[in-house]
Amino acid sequence: MSSYSIWVMEYAYVLEQPTSLFVYGAHNQGHRKMPYGYVVIKGQGQTAMVDVGYNHKAYGEVLATSYGVENWQPPRTVLSECGLAPGDISTVFITHAHFDHMGNIEDFPNATFYIQERELSKWVWAMSLERRFRWLMLGIDPADILRLVDLARQGRLVAVDGDRENVLPGIDLRAAFDTHTWGSMYVTVRNDQAPESADAWVFAGDLVYCHENLRGDNPADPQYVPVGLATGSQFTLLMTAEKMIQQVHGDHTRVVPVHEERLRDLFPSRITKTGLRITELALADGEPSRVG
Amino acid sequence: MADLDDGTVEYILNNRTHFEDLRQVTAQLAGLLVLAATGARGAAPDHPLLETADQLFQTAVDGLRRAHVPARARPHHDAVMQAVAAVRGALDAAHAGLGRRAPGVDLDPILIPLRAGYTHLQRAAHTLPGFEMVAFDQGCCGHGAGAAPRRPLPAIGDLTS
Repeated sequence: MSSYSIWVMEYAYVLEQPTSLFVYGAHNQGHRKMPYGYVVIKGQGQTAMVDVGYNHKAYGEVLATSYGVENWQPPRTVLSECGLAPGDISTVFITHAHFDHMGNIEDFPNATFYIQERELSKWVWAMSLERRFRWLMLGIDPADILRLVDLARQGRLVAVDGDRENVLPGIDLRAAFDTHTWGSMYVTVRNDQAPESADAWVFAGDLVYCHENLRGDNPADPQYVPVGLATGSQFTLLMTAEKMIQQVHGDHTRVVPVHEERLRDLFPSRITKTGLRITELALADGEPSRVG
Repeated sequence: MADLDDGTVEYILNNRTHFEDLRQVTAQLAGLLVLAATGARGAAPDHPLLETADQLFQTAVDGLRRAHVPARARPHHDAVMQAVAAVRGALDAAHAGLGRRAPGVDLDPILIPLRAGYTHLQRAAHTLPGFEMVAFDQGCCGHGAGAAPRRPLPAIGDLTS
């Protein structure tokens, strides 16, 4: 019996992204599709999301023309595929502060946002460094930071310090400091509500881009291989991968990376009328399938 | 940039850094405001970031004032100078407000001009190529599509055994 229905919602994609972005050191190995997505978790009288995508008004054109991002659709269009509207979202977990995960805050007027305090304070610290350190600021939009100020003043921003369990019933936040970013976190859903869940899901943010990060490319001899971008260290990324895998008792298919195109091979999904994929991971009692 | 005259190209090349510095100052101030608004650790009013922002702002302004502005770049420069005025107001307010160490500081006197400054910068960025509001290069989505041939994805079944 599942407490929550869970969907991965694609909201845009890049058709040709270098494989070396997904997998550290995978140079000269061509390109692959990179979906942009967020996760919807519905149940227990709540509707939550893991990340909210980017703000198309601010930089959609730059992304489209310079980096090949295609078919961005607004949350009202994307969420309608699972019968929801942005105003229905009550809670958002921001895995990290990159624009493509945090940039669309203003489209969710009723949500309370959770982010690691370290993610905020370390970005601010990085801003104080000399210009030659500007690589550390990549992917950060000043406008997103201004929107956070508004959230905080409205009492809708919760800065979390480390792990926090049962933020919603059966949903835990797990800090992953000094990994993809300084204050990344991942979200664990214990869909049976059990403390030692046999029905757990981990939503990895950008701690994992694809299944090779958890399995390598040799199934007979699996290994962890970090993502191609880390502000923190590859070592902590690998140790975090191990923690995530332990939470799902070794079933790497339950560690869900939204940038992984091949979720379609593991779970029921369909392409919507706007050409984006909706993938259904779990259905709570009484919830109709959105992909059937 | 094929349709740009030499003077405009020179303007772009000479002023990108100043633009980025000004953008960085807006980010720095916004970051301080987030810390103040959330009560996060490190939100002390004498945060060194405010001094860093002051210095960077002055460097940017000095450079922008020296700029030779061709006609094609005039709208850009005007918008950037409007941003300078707004961000200066935000910096002054930050010194006055964040420096008072008083609980419940009103952030509007900082936030309103800061937002205006950001809007002016955004407008400037739309008038000429080469000025971006977000540093996408090397970012998690910023790897532009290259010329290398696309390789078929390994089947998921190859990864799950």
